[in-house]
Amino acid sequence: MDLKWIYWGINVLAIVLVVRSLYREKSLREQFVAAMVLVPLILRAFFIK
Amino acid sequence: MFEKKNLASLYTATAMLVFAAVIAAISGKSYLDMRNPPPDVDRVVPHAGFVHKKLSDYFDGIKGTPADTDVYIQEGSEPGGTALILGGTHANEPAGFIAAVVMLERADVRRGRLIIVPYANMMARSHTFPQDAHPQTFSFVTPASNRRTFRYGSRTTNPVYEWPNPDIYIHPASGQTMAGVERSNLNRAHPGVKDGGVTERLAYGFMQLIYAEQVDLAIDLHEASPEYPVVEAMVAHENAMELAAMVAMELEFEGVPIRLEPSPKNLRGLNHREWGDKADVLALLLETSNPSAGRFRGKTDEALILTGADKAYQKASGLGRLYVPYEGGNEPMAERVARHVTTVRLLADNLGYVRDGKGMVIEGLPGFQELNDLGVGAWLSE
Repeated sequence: MDLKWIYWGINVLAIVLVVRSLYREKSLREQFVAAMVLVPLILRAFFIK
Repeated sequence: MFEKKNLASLYTATAMLVFAAVIAAISGKSYLDMRNPPPDVDRVVPHAGFVHKKLSDYFDGIKGTPADTDVYIQEGSEPGGTALILGGTHANEPAGFIAAVVMLERADVRRGRLIIVPYANMMARSHTFPQDAHPQTFSFVTPASNRRTFRYGSRTTNPVYEWPNPDIYIHPASGQTMAGVERSNLNRAHPGVKDGGVTERLAYGFMQLIYAEQVDLAIDLHEASPEYPVVEAMVAHENAMELAAMVAMELEFEGVPIRLEPSPKNLRGLNHREWGDKADVLALLLETSNPSAGRFRGKTDEALILTGADKAYQKASGLGRLYVPYEGGNEPMAERVARHVTTVRLLADNLGYVRDGKGMVIEGLPGFQELNDLGVGAWLSE
């Protein structure tokens, strides 16, 4: 199996966990940090091919 | 300020999520646009007499891959030596590939053969280095006021084509260990691997070209940061040292001082070391000074790429921290390109002195002062 799809799966899992954190955070600042962490993860999810 | 009133809610979380998606979409579009540039970006107009080939004509292991690149060959009317000029091994060292493009558009070979590869690593041209904030393109204006635009890429292959890199890269031919990112660096991949990663296969393609065309003189055009010791320098394999020493003296006479550095025997994967060891070729690498790639630089924009003018570098120069004079507080592209073109011309001119019957005559190349005075745009085709 192509290793790239394993990396892709890990990346998608990371997105799910960060989105979950985003909705659980009680502070706007922490929500902003979570959103910024999401940016490279989203990009990576689209570009691991 | 956010802590004073706890405003976080499901709505703000959703807004943040949308915000992240928008930023990612904008960044993604910019990234993709660089991979598929308009046709006039990176365009070359070869001088009459150049024959167009592909590197895959020498090694079909890169055929149909993004590693395949253009090779231009011009043969003079008289037999002589064969010179290979590489630009764009590192796509963030613009004077290297711009000098190759100027020579491709101006060279008129009378004796010998000239092979030019203006963009050696095409895969490094489709992205910029993360967090370095380099502009994606830069332009020159020609005498008829047309713009010639080129991409400013990265030192390494785009991770889209080769990812992930290992923590430690083991150079296949020597077993030498390097930082993992060097796996995607063409100038650590020589002499290449036939069935290796895509950058290693690209390097293998160049080795096959050198064998097939029986190259006598191979020159790779680079740039380095002004604070890096090997700058405004010529790095020569021991076989090429006699020729390099002759040319260094001639450059001094022309008012273009240059350092002469021996190719380190224990630093593997570099083209001057591997080509010189593996083939009967005089292998050299040239470095000019590029503040836009340096670590001291401030605002990083097109002007910095073209002029090399930077306050931080001026201060560093005053403190004696640079390995170049940095006179006038700048390093104009025209001067850097002129250095490369002049050095290549002198190396070709002198090849016949170190290799019997392998002399070369190349006409049409701008002189050091001409290029400095008129700028790069004046020597590019419309």
